[in-house]
Amino acid sequence: MSKNDSQKKHRLHELPPMGGTPCIEFSGNREVVIEGSKGVLEYSTGCIRVNTAGMIVTLSGRGLNLRCISDSALIIDGFITDVAFTV
Amino acid sequence: MLRLLRWLRGYVRFTVSGKYPERFINITLRNQLRIWDAVRREDSLSACMYMRDYLHIRRYARGSGVKLRVCERRGLPTLLQRYSDRVGLVIGAAAFGMTVFIMSLFIWTIEITGTESISESEMRAMLAENGIYVGAFKPAVDYQSVSRAIMLDDTRVGWMAVNVTGSYASVEIKEQTPSPEMDDVYSPCNVKARRDGRILRIDAEEGKTLLKEGSGVVGGQLVVSGVMEDMLGGVRLVHAKASVIAETDYHADFSIPREIVTYVPTGEIKKRYSAELFGLKIPLTLGGVSTVDVLSDEREEAAVPLSVQLPAGIVSRTLYALEREEVSLNDNSAKELLIREAQLYEVFSRADCTVTKRDYRFSQTGDGYELTAGFTCKEDVAYQEKIYMDDN
Repeated sequence: MSKNDSQKKHRLHELPPMGGTPCIEFSGNREVVIEGSKGVLEYSTGCIRVNTAGMIVTLSGRGLNLRCISDSALIIDGFITDVAFTV
Repeated sequence: MLRLLRWLRGYVRFTVSGKYPERFINITLRNQLRIWDAVRREDSLSACMYMRDYLHIRRYARGSGVKLRVCERRGLPTLLQRYSDRVGLVIGAAAFGMTVFIMSLFIWTIEITGTESISESEMRAMLAENGIYVGAFKPAVDYQSVSRAIMLDDTRVGWMAVNVTGSYASVEIKEQTPSPEMDDVYSPCNVKARRDGRILRIDAEEGKTLLKEGSGVVGGQLVVSGVMEDMLGGVRLVHAKASVIAETDYHADFSIPREIVTYVPTGEIKKRYSAELFGLKIPLTLGGVSTVDVLSDEREEAAVPLSVQLPAGIVSRTLYALEREEVSLNDNSAKELLIREAQLYEVFSRADCTVTKRDYRFSQTGDGYELTAGFTCKEDVAYQEKIYMDDN
């Protein structure tokens, strides 16, 4: 994990509790950190759908990668062109 | 850091092929197993996982209907497993580690900085006397007491410190700055002549000149007095100071036997090389010259990468074969040798004066030759002698 990633993680720990809603942090359109994921529903280089508490986050783009995954968080990098929330 | 930790624990890169690899990922993550570098390909998914975790995921793969295939294993456990059958390799690695550890207990390089009047070889000899030399056992050396001992032994060393980093000892020295000599310009004294001669010139700065230029003087004679009398007959003592340039004579005798022994090079030269490693000399070439008498010239070329002297180098030794020869001298060669000796005497023994005239008398004795050399010199013969006063 790069220094940038660890800084982000550190900041996520400092965030106040949001009642089970996911924390999503974008670094431009090149990287996104999703905290509070419940699982990956779809994974392809053009589209990643992530299940979170109460909604599904759909990221579309090019060359999308799941760089790091744990049971409650994931880091996606690639060229993100579109974000959609399905409630 | 994370990469290093992963490498130490060992990991596998594997591909997941099947209809729903996402399902497999979710099940795996729910069971607290870590996955990283998940890359989606057209019909499969490639990811990494710790080797220990990978042993447990077969059943999850069966449950999610995907097939797993290991692409590569990486990390320290794989490396150890690969070489576990090769005992020699393990022993070699252990021996290497042990050698490095043992070698690190010794001093292999000594660098000395800050010396000006003290030569480096002199300082190395002093350090060796106190236990710091190439090959010294580090735990047995007390660096602070070595510094203290050298500072006490040699007054030229004002301050010194020995810093040891690994097997490299750096010795820093600050030499003592001598306090300047204070000229005693107040205490009363006379100026006398050191030796016999004829006075050429007297330059008196203070005091009463008693002799005239051109007069003769004997060793110990008073030349400039520090006792001054005034018009009324009163006496005043002064610090007499003068330079007394006089013409002096020196004699020296030199002799040489008629038959002398010399060693003449035969022309046979042999070069021998040896490698020096950690203070040990290992001969690389053998052999010598055919004669008993040998002139040897030894040169050491130490490895000095980046100005750091390493305990390794090549020593080349050139041997010149010499033949003992008895030569009987004739008049001319004997005279030449004796004059050369007289010239050396002049250069080294009469360096403090200017030789204005030389007189060589060559004679034959019963078993050899003799040269009586007379030198006429010009020199300052003055010296100051304190006037002691009794208070009573």
